[in-house]
Amino acid sequence: MDDKVVTGTPPESRFQVARGTLLADVWMGRLIRLGGVGVIAAVIGMLLFLLWQVVPLFSGAEVTPQAAVALRPGAVGFGEDESGEVVYAAHPDGTLRFVKASDGSSVTDWSPPAGSPAVTAVRVQSREGQVLLGHADGSVSSVTVSFKVSFASDGRRSVEPEVKSEPPRQVGEKGRAVTEVWAVRATNTRLFVVRQASPRGSELRALRLAERRGLGGRAVVTPGEPFAIAPDVDDVGQVLVPSTADSVLVLLPGGEVRAYAGEGDRMDLIQSFRPFPGAGRAPSAAGLIFGDVSAVFLSAEGEQRVWAIHPVKQSDGRSLRRWGEVREPVRLPGPGAGVWAAAGNKCYLLAAGGELQLRNLTTGSVRWQGEAPPGSARQVVFSRNYDRMSALAADGSLRRWKIEDHHPDSSWSAFFGRIWYEGADGPAFVWQSSSGSDEFEAKYSLVPLIYGTVKGTFYALLFALPIALLAAVYVSQFLRPDLRLIVKPLMEVMASLPSVVLGFLAGLWLAPVVDANLVPLLCALAALAPAGLASGWIWSRLPQPVRRRARPGLEFLWLAPVVFLCVCAAWSLGPSVESALFTVTDPSGAQVSDFREWWRVSTGLAYDARNSLVVGFVMGFAVIPVVFTIAEDALSNVPAALTSGSLALGASRWQTVWRVVVPTAVSGIVSAVMIGFGRAVGETMIVVMATGNTAVMEANPFNGMRTLSANIAVELPEAPAGHTHFRALFLGACCLFLLTFILNTLAEVLRQRLRERYKVV
Amino acid sequence: MPTMTAPTPARIKVRPAAENDGRKDFISIRDFGFWYGDKKALDGMTLDIPERQVVAFIGPSGCGKSTLLRNLNRMNDLIDGVRHEGDILIKGRSIYDPGLEVISLRRRVGMVFQKSNPFPKSIFENVVYALRVVGVTDRGALEEACETSLRKAALWDEVKDRLDDNALGLSGGQMQRLCIARAIANRPEILLMDEPCSALDPIATGKIEELIHELKVQFTIVIVTHSMQQAARVSDRTAFFYLGKLVEYDTTEKIFMNPSQAQTEAYISGRFG
Repeated sequence: MDDKVVTGTPPESRFQVARGTLLADVWMGRLIRLGGVGVIAAVIGMLLFLLWQVVPLFSGAEVTPQAAVALRPGAVGFGEDESGEVVYAAHPDGTLRFVKASDGSSVTDWSPPAGSPAVTAVRVQSREGQVLLGHADGSVSSVTVSFKVSFASDGRRSVEPEVKSEPPRQVGEKGRAVTEVWAVRATNTRLFVVRQASPRGSELRALRLAERRGLGGRAVVTPGEPFAIAPDVDDVGQVLVPSTADSVLVLLPGGEVRAYAGEGDRMDLIQSFRPFPGAGRAPSAAGLIFGDVSAVFLSAEGEQRVWAIHPVKQSDGRSLRRWGEVREPVRLPGPGAGVWAAAGNKCYLLAAGGELQLRNLTTGSVRWQGEAPPGSARQVVFSRNYDRMSALAADGSLRRWKIEDHHPDSSWSAFFGRIWYEGADGPAFVWQSSSGSDEFEAKYSLVPLIYGTVKGTFYALLFALPIALLAAVYVSQFLRPDLRLIVKPLMEVMASLPSVVLGFLAGLWLAPVVDANLVPLLCALAALAPAGLASGWIWSRLPQPVRRRARPGLEFLWLAPVVFLCVCAAWSLGPSVESALFTVTDPSGAQVSDFREWWRVSTGLAYDARNSLVVGFVMGFAVIPVVFTIAEDALSNVPAALTSGSLALGASRWQTVWRVVVPTAVSGIVSAVMIGFGRAVGETMIVVMATGNTAVMEANPFNGMRTLSANIAVELPEAPAGHTHFRALFLGACCLFLLTFILNTLAEVLRQRLRERYKVV
Repeated sequence: MPTMTAPTPARIKVRPAAENDGRKDFISIRDFGFWYGDKKALDGMTLDIPERQVVAFIGPSGCGKSTLLRNLNRMNDLIDGVRHEGDILIKGRSIYDPGLEVISLRRRVGMVFQKSNPFPKSIFENVVYALRVVGVTDRGALEEACETSLRKAALWDEVKDRLDDNALGLSGGQMQRLCIARAIANRPEILLMDEPCSALDPIATGKIEELIHELKVQFTIVIVTHSMQQAARVSDRTAFFYLGKLVEYDTTEKIFMNPSQAQTEAYISGRFG
């Protein structure tokens, strides 16, 4: 650039621009730019916020070792209070030594009451606060450990252990020492199981107590008779006792696992299976996972297999709960040494080949892995709220870890994979985020929600697009201009109807009406299009002088009686059609003419009154005005020169519309469809109110769905902030964002290409 | 719009009237009147247009020449609130006959508009549009018609290698010739041209005028024009309209050399209009 500017005489003052004009120009330009940047920033910010909420879902657990607690040598088991401040070690003679976890100082000691038989077996069940003592005479006593938290006047917290022991109960054969003991408590039963040495190896005996709680809250305990479990087995290996107190899993040294179950004073063999196929391959470690319907088996070859109880169809058609393998085998770094379940979720710790792995059962993900302390751990205890785990090492020291794992049950496969959940008869995509039970396995599959979104959108567009687009073509090209001036604003008013009102109407008024008049309605729908076409054909056969009487743009008056007659006919013929086509035999043997029953019987699918059809109708009402308005604008904007050019060439009005107007307006029509699509995908209130909101995955038009947006609306208020559930809802929002973003981008690309192709000078 | 350099009768070169071997009253306009709403646009027009001749409608803006032209294929019916009186006959049959489809009338009476209006389709599809709408699907027939029409419209050599290109990529003159090719593809009997050269440069105008000469062998052509030179160059007969009335209608030679009405003379010598 040449810096020298030639300055001639300045222009006359009347040619000069006022400062205000220039300033306004500059500042308005900046303001507009700011607005544009602001819009982009808002969209990106929204996306970043969603990602920020979602990213923690995909991070693993952080496990940090804490200071070890020194215990008196010889501890065989341990337990701790909920906050982990006081630890108690159980010794082979039945003494419990309570120490402070912080400095190892003694709090108190407890010994079995004087005069009770010698202790030969000890088991600590820290989660239940129960210590079981097996005695030399074959009896078992249960000791309850509880902790009382009190605050001193200066606010200092102190934890006081309280120990209560029950008198011994005879479970095993009299006079023979108990070598191992288990006990579980279910709703109305307690089950004690003991192992006693036998001449051939070891055998199991059990005792069941029936507990009935009266209105006063005092339990009436009725003990049963002790009975033998697996009397035909010579040597019993490891035993797993599920907390349901109705069954026992016995591992035989040969690798076979036997499930015994029964009520009252017996348990029978109900199933025998080998977790590891092939003779001689025996589990080297096994453990039940929290909830006690899944078991993890490890082998000495370093393989993990997961079995669970699930309904299995029997040959006689009944469905029985049986053990079956529910996961793909997993290779571990070395021979399996132990499995310990967490106390409040589906995570478990396993030791294999000198490594510790914290895994989640549901998703199969490895939350954390680290080096195992030398020697095998005798017992591992997780805190109830899954923030700490402690292991009693072989050397008698108590090692502790702090766990930070806020989303143990989340992973890609949890959200998008097919998972075999506990109690299900096969892998499935399920959304079921909460339940009344602690042992519940949260199911966060977004697939049914995405499916529901697509399904709702599909039915809405199926109904809305033909009506909206054809109406747009009719109004812009055929209707009399003065009527057009009335119809268009009316449609725009329709667009401003709040969707909560539409949803309310759909759920409380339309759904019952459709339910009661389904067959006439379907008949009317099926008959309208052929009747319209037929009336058009008849019209075209009428002699020209008759046709000339219809003023151009008022032809719809000819169609109105056709529609009216069609609907009347459908309503009066509906019952006969229903009895002719949809008659089925109901369970009581009577013949009923009911479409709903017929649908259930003949297709095997569900029928609900609040179904996709109703949602399609009503969501269609929300979508129609949007699509109509934009498509109508696009069609009206086709230059009149093109229309008259086509008409002057001897094309009929329809040919003109179809061959010239629609192709020219196609980019605008694509926009209209996309905006309608966006409206249907994001629609919330109508779906919430007019469907059952069940996250089912069926294309069936006669049941409901749950969409991503409805899911957020329904569940976000009750999802604890920061919880997996909360973040999973945000992940749903991300999916929705991505879904519309991708589709809109594709549509925009398509629209640009069409516009390039059909652009008008 | 080509500027109008005040033409004098002496400077206008008039073509001698062609031999007319067709019907003298091919198109008969009888006492024709026409209203846009309450405004009367045409009043008591009576004139006959002979077969295979070029008739030019001239007159100042608003005189009704385009209105009359657009009535010949009933394009004015598309406008709301119009009505007419009198009658227009083509080969003795009224175009307002209730038994006559307006679509078949328009197939018979082709039209070229003031502003070229090719469809946003390929050149080929534009030309064969009229055949497509009557249901011709045979590719060979379409291709043949396309070539014939483009040759007649003197456009073939320029576009034969890019028939599948979008017609909107042509130049203004080419587009107007394309519209002529499109109008004659289905071989109408009459071709209406509403100021076909008003948006074109002199070279394109020259080409179109050449074209009109050649098309006259086959078609009856009615052309509305603002350019008196053009009327003189291309037409056999000329009608002069003023304020919705037909002032004078005669052979072009007579109108330009020796008009019988003072208004006509005043107009063609550029004293008003």
